[in-house]
Amino acid sequence: MIKTIIRKEFLATLRDGRLLTLGVALLVLFAGFFLASAYELQQLRAEKHSVGTTAKEQWNTQSVKNPHAAAHYGIYVFKQDTPVAALDPGLRPYIGQALWLEPHKRNLTRFSPAADQVLAGRFGQATTSFVLTALLPLLIVALTFNSISQERESGTLRMLHSLGVDAGQLLFGKLLGLMTAFSVVLAPALLLAAVILLGNFAFTLDDVLRLLALLVLLNLYYGIFAALAISASASFNTSRTTLFCLLGFWLASVFIAPRLGVVGAEILAPNPSASEFWREIKEDIDHGLEHDGDHEERAKAFEAQVLAQYGVSRKEDLPVGFVSLNRQYNDAYSVKVHALHFDALRDNFVRQQHLSHLGSWLGPSLALRSLSMTLAGMDLAHQRHFEDAAEEYRHYFINLTEDWDRERSRGTERKATGAEADWRSVADFSYQAPDIGFALRTAKLDFLVLLLWLGLSIGLLRISARRLVP
Amino acid sequence: MNTAIPVLAAQNLVVEYRQHRAVDNLNLQIPQGCVYALLGGNGAGKSTTISTFLTFNRPSSGQVLIEGESPHTNAELVRAKLAYLPENVALYDVMSGLENLTYFCTLANIRLSSDQAHDLLLDSGLQADAHQKRVAAYSKGMRQKVGLAIASAKQAKAMLLDEPTSGLDPSAANDFAQRIRAAADRGMAVLMATHDLFNAKQVADRIGIMKNGRLLEEFDAHTVQHDELEQKYLAHARGLA
Repeated sequence: MIKTIIRKEFLATLRDGRLLTLGVALLVLFAGFFLASAYELQQLRAEKHSVGTTAKEQWNTQSVKNPHAAAHYGIYVFKQDTPVAALDPGLRPYIGQALWLEPHKRNLTRFSPAADQVLAGRFGQATTSFVLTALLPLLIVALTFNSISQERESGTLRMLHSLGVDAGQLLFGKLLGLMTAFSVVLAPALLLAAVILLGNFAFTLDDVLRLLALLVLLNLYYGIFAALAISASASFNTSRTTLFCLLGFWLASVFIAPRLGVVGAEILAPNPSASEFWREIKEDIDHGLEHDGDHEERAKAFEAQVLAQYGVSRKEDLPVGFVSLNRQYNDAYSVKVHALHFDALRDNFVRQQHLSHLGSWLGPSLALRSLSMTLAGMDLAHQRHFEDAAEEYRHYFINLTEDWDRERSRGTERKATGAEADWRSVADFSYQAPDIGFALRTAKLDFLVLLLWLGLSIGLLRISARRLVP
Repeated sequence: MNTAIPVLAAQNLVVEYRQHRAVDNLNLQIPQGCVYALLGGNGAGKSTTISTFLTFNRPSSGQVLIEGESPHTNAELVRAKLAYLPENVALYDVMSGLENLTYFCTLANIRLSSDQAHDLLLDSGLQADAHQKRVAAYSKGMRQKVGLAIASAKQAKAMLLDEPTSGLDPSAANDFAQRIRAAADRGMAVLMATHDLFNAKQVADRIGIMKNGRLLEEFDAHTVQHDELEQKYLAHARGLA
């Protein structure tokens, strides 16, 4: 019986003029946004590659100079976005796109697109993900708000009841039929996206898996909206009441829940201000972490240790460059302090992200958006993975220059030099982005929230079926 | 006419909505092959009686029976033994008459071949060139014919008609009455709610007049004269009887 209902709903929905009109409008809208997103991503990737190559070439072609002075020239590194980011740029507009690597100090990323946006950008982000996560649920509401109430109003529900049709099968048949028809309408848009992506970006297996996972999760998300809309349609007496309630839910889920969640998270787990953050790092370096002593005490202890290690009584008699040795020691301490503060800050970001789900009781959109940006590799966790890799690279090239400085000088002299061959021997930053397993582990809570909403919507559908009055 | 076990029966049936008694102690029996017309104005309780047989509502007391069994304890009875035609036969506008017939029959576990479906529609009076047209373009009479085809396909023991000729032109109403009569002659029990005296006299075997939920009087449709029926009906309607 349910197959017959699915087939009928599928055909009836496809023949319904609303779906065709909305489907065409959706295709145009999606195509426009997606082309803009894909073009933006392509430009950004090209710019990052170009600037990265230029910056490294400038590093390579430095003149003969002290290795530490060369290190101060610094290297810019960039996170290459995955092709999936064309569907969801995630946090990209708000996160800096370049990371400046230099001695002594660990930097935050800089140059966020939001800071450079043109006037139009201030009226809201028109992205593909907005179409997928905000507008498509609205399309589903428009298609389903009268799925049962219309049958009640026209009398077909009585006909079906008189034929002994099981209400549960009717409601679930409607859900599956509608989702099938919806997928058919969505298919051209997705096909278009696939053609554009495959034509413009090189895909890895991981990218494909991420896209497929995103597609499955989006379908679950749309299924939640459809199931809730059918339940509401079965429960309320009129189509008009159902439509008002569903529009309210859509607004709450798509617009209010994320803002409420973010406000709640900021209140419960506030971030330090930028000045406070850097001041605390400086204080910890100057005064030392617990039991480490202040900068002066640590410097004296280190000098004594080095003199004892080389069996000399004066720094001037050391067989290696003390200035470099001392700098490496100080930098190592600085790295330790920076790591503590950076990790604490980023742990707080994670806490905030979890707390933001306080808004998820209003709807599943918050969880889906979070999952979407994680699968696109455009969330905080992927950013952190990149920053950690960049920090490791910073240690590598700073230590390399310090090694040259130390080994090419004696005592307290500052005569060590390096040349282009040295600078060129510094390996390029080669970042390996984490795989889909990392993304799925990161998004466990989001996935759980989405599943809870799915369970709730199916449960409501069952209750509506039991209470369905023809 | 087999009168041993009535196909449809109401026994001391009372149906109440909140404080309102829509059906008040109704007793009637409709055997196989009998067309029973319930006459009455709006709010007389005719449609509520039909709805109770279909389990759209529950009796407050008393019971309805289909071949001696209550549909409220055995819901399968409704699906297996009843066919229902409301005033406006509810069909899906985006589907053709043929698709509607096939859909409703499949849901009732009746598998029809394409030829069988076409034959049923033709037997119900729907012309062949309308079979594939969307129902949105159908007249009320054409919809009734699809409804009749569904009822025929079900091979139901009883048919419940709620104001079936309301809004039909005289020719269509006459055509419809003949088809109902033919169905009854094939053994189907028919309960018809109507306020169309002419139609009731034309097609029914028995006629009952209802007012305020009560069955006030019953007639043998074959012996009562049209004038007499009309006078009785108006007298009851005006509260003079």
